[in-house]
Amino acid sequence: MAYLNINSIKERTFDAIVIGSGMSGGWAAKELTDNGLKTLVLERGRDVKHIKDYPTANMYPFEFEHRGELPLAVKKENPVVGRCYAFGESTAHFFVKDKEHPYIQEKEFDWIRAYQVGGRSLLWARQTQRWSDFDFSGPARDGFAVDWPIRYADIAPWYSHVEKFAGIAGNKDGLQELPDGEFLPGFPLNAVEDYFKKQVSEKFKGRHIISGRCAHLSRPEPVHLEQGRGQCLSRTLCNRGCPLGGYYSSNSSTLPWAAKSGHLTLRPFSVVHSILYDEQKGRASGVRVIDANTKEETEYYAKIIFVNAGSVNTNLVLLNSVSGRFPAGLGNDNGLLGKYVAFHNYSATISAEFDGLKEFTTDGRRPTGGYVPRFRNVFKQETDFLRGYAAGFSAHRGLDRDTGGFGTELKENILNPQLGPWRVGSHMMAETIPKESNYVSLDPDRKDAWGIPQLRISVAYDDNDEKMRKDYLAQFEEMFAAAGFTNIQPRNKPMAPGLDIHEMGGVRMGKDPKTSLLNKWNQFHACKNVFVTDGACMTSTSTQNPSLTYMAITARAANYAAEELKKRNL
Amino acid sequence: MKRRTAIRQLVVVAGGLALLPSCLSGPGNAAIKLSNIILSGEQEKTLAEIAGTIIPATDTPGAKELGVHLFVLKMLDDCYEKDAQQKFIKGLGQADQVAKERFGASFTKCKPEQRQELISDIENKASLPAEIFDFYQIMKQKTLQGYLSSEYVMTKQLIYEMAPGRYNGYFPVKAS
Repeated sequence: MAYLNINSIKERTFDAIVIGSGMSGGWAAKELTDNGLKTLVLERGRDVKHIKDYPTANMYPFEFEHRGELPLAVKKENPVVGRCYAFGESTAHFFVKDKEHPYIQEKEFDWIRAYQVGGRSLLWARQTQRWSDFDFSGPARDGFAVDWPIRYADIAPWYSHVEKFAGIAGNKDGLQELPDGEFLPGFPLNAVEDYFKKQVSEKFKGRHIISGRCAHLSRPEPVHLEQGRGQCLSRTLCNRGCPLGGYYSSNSSTLPWAAKSGHLTLRPFSVVHSILYDEQKGRASGVRVIDANTKEETEYYAKIIFVNAGSVNTNLVLLNSVSGRFPAGLGNDNGLLGKYVAFHNYSATISAEFDGLKEFTTDGRRPTGGYVPRFRNVFKQETDFLRGYAAGFSAHRGLDRDTGGFGTELKENILNPQLGPWRVGSHMMAETIPKESNYVSLDPDRKDAWGIPQLRISVAYDDNDEKMRKDYLAQFEEMFAAAGFTNIQPRNKPMAPGLDIHEMGGVRMGKDPKTSLLNKWNQFHACKNVFVTDGACMTSTSTQNPSLTYMAITARAANYAAEELKKRNL
Repeated sequence: MKRRTAIRQLVVVAGGLALLPSCLSGPGNAAIKLSNIILSGEQEKTLAEIAGTIIPATDTPGAKELGVHLFVLKMLDDCYEKDAQQKFIKGLGQADQVAKERFGASFTKCKPEQRQELISDIENKASLPAEIFDFYQIMKQKTLQGYLSSEYVMTKQLIYEMAPGRYNGYFPVKAS
């Protein structure tokens, strides 16, 4: 072997290896170690310890020298990540900068990445709506992609499992299309959100406004206190990392939990080059790792491997895992690895004003807002486009400041702002249809700084996305008008795929090895001891923010893997 | 705010800032480190007086006392295109030149009424060199931002709550 073998093979051998420490990797680590498996978690970025490594978490606005804005030079150097809403002076240290990790955009794709322990679980929007059977049965009913090998009943107990541990605030809304979960008290809607909810339920059958369920400890349970987490205090500074552990992240929850078990080895700065395949045994034997700093190569071995590198990067690792048995990438007998990548369409928003309920405003802050579950084509196909969209909906009253003139009068005016009108806003979150023509692949020539092929991304919108965008704007314009809102402003929000940060697919689950890569337990059909449980496994995208589903799928697969190991089936 | 408290705070704030120029600013340089623009100590004083004219000290400190002009400079230096930076510096010089022509004294030496007259003319779009307006637009916008997001205002006037721990969606509006 090419590297200096300073550790014995035994010291580099584990029961399980997890590639990635973010949203799903953290869950794989927790579940595998809870099952007593000696688990190695590999993270390509630096370590980020809960609280200690959140340098901006307790800074006041005036402590930022640009008051949150980024210098022009940083913006110009980072056209891709610079478009991400969460990338700012208080959070930039948690994002990959464009130059550090190049990729090739065959079509424009904003790939937003966060290479560190915890990954993007530090930065997510924390919205956690369950999928329903209408989502899992979508491809079969509507004839796209392939049928999911699982249904809601398969995953429902695992939603409960992860919700109880992560802590999800929400209300029991009793909606078939958005099943209820294990909820801590929900955050309230405000006067105008409640008003809109009532207006819509009276005037538009089957449409609902609910309080968005979110991964915040509105009232911690013993299991959360045991994790060392405390109540969410509505700081809404979440993306800096929460020193209270008020929201779920790998850093605050699953990783320290796994560490306490004594079974976890966490190795930051470990860039996974590929998964090793043992041709004799017909199974994966471990992973090849390149040290991010020294570029030294090391191999680690395990009985099972969980790939949780973060959707698109999971595709990269698998495509780069070539062997005699799998010359086109691990498990890729049908040539579909990297294909059927999909995302969420967020390309429209709408805003308006409301002249009523002026006797109320809001006080304090809230880490969520209103949520409009999908109402198009839910129970049957009824429009000229496939599937549908969910939407955010929130209302607030801003402060209007008269900034005219100068001197003592100006000073008096700006120190005594007047309450503005109620303003309402919504954004669309639409399902996109996975297609073979939306794919990622490895560039044959260009390599990154660690000698790993650069990724080529070729993903685009289609006509169905365009029809949904128009329908969203038309439907919300109609609902806003029916509620008596004024100054209604529908807006296209041109954005490349990827900026939704909900990239999915490429290693899809399915029943048939000819048309899918993974079975119902997220195992490769053709390589049973490798599991993919991040966004790469998704057969279709539905409309809900996907993280909760990744967590549940991961917990389910990890417990299955542990049982199979105990039964010596793996 | 009680007047006595405010004055005491003004003294504390002004006292703290009084240390700044002597230790950081040489005769020809600005008090803060700038990467892209060059500004003399005199120009910086002019900026301070303009900031102080836009938001003056009353029974509470104004933009000058809070050092807001240094925030304006920091933002200009880091967050604006070269073209905007050049127009800003040119417009600042022109404003000072107008003061000299009209009042026979640089802006810093003008009486408060004279400063107010000049700023009033700029606000009212009087016939003045174009760059003065380019300069003033950024100057005023960033002065307002810097003042409202200053430690003093966020801790003593319009209190910023780090951790409200509550959300009331039906908070009654006081009839006033």
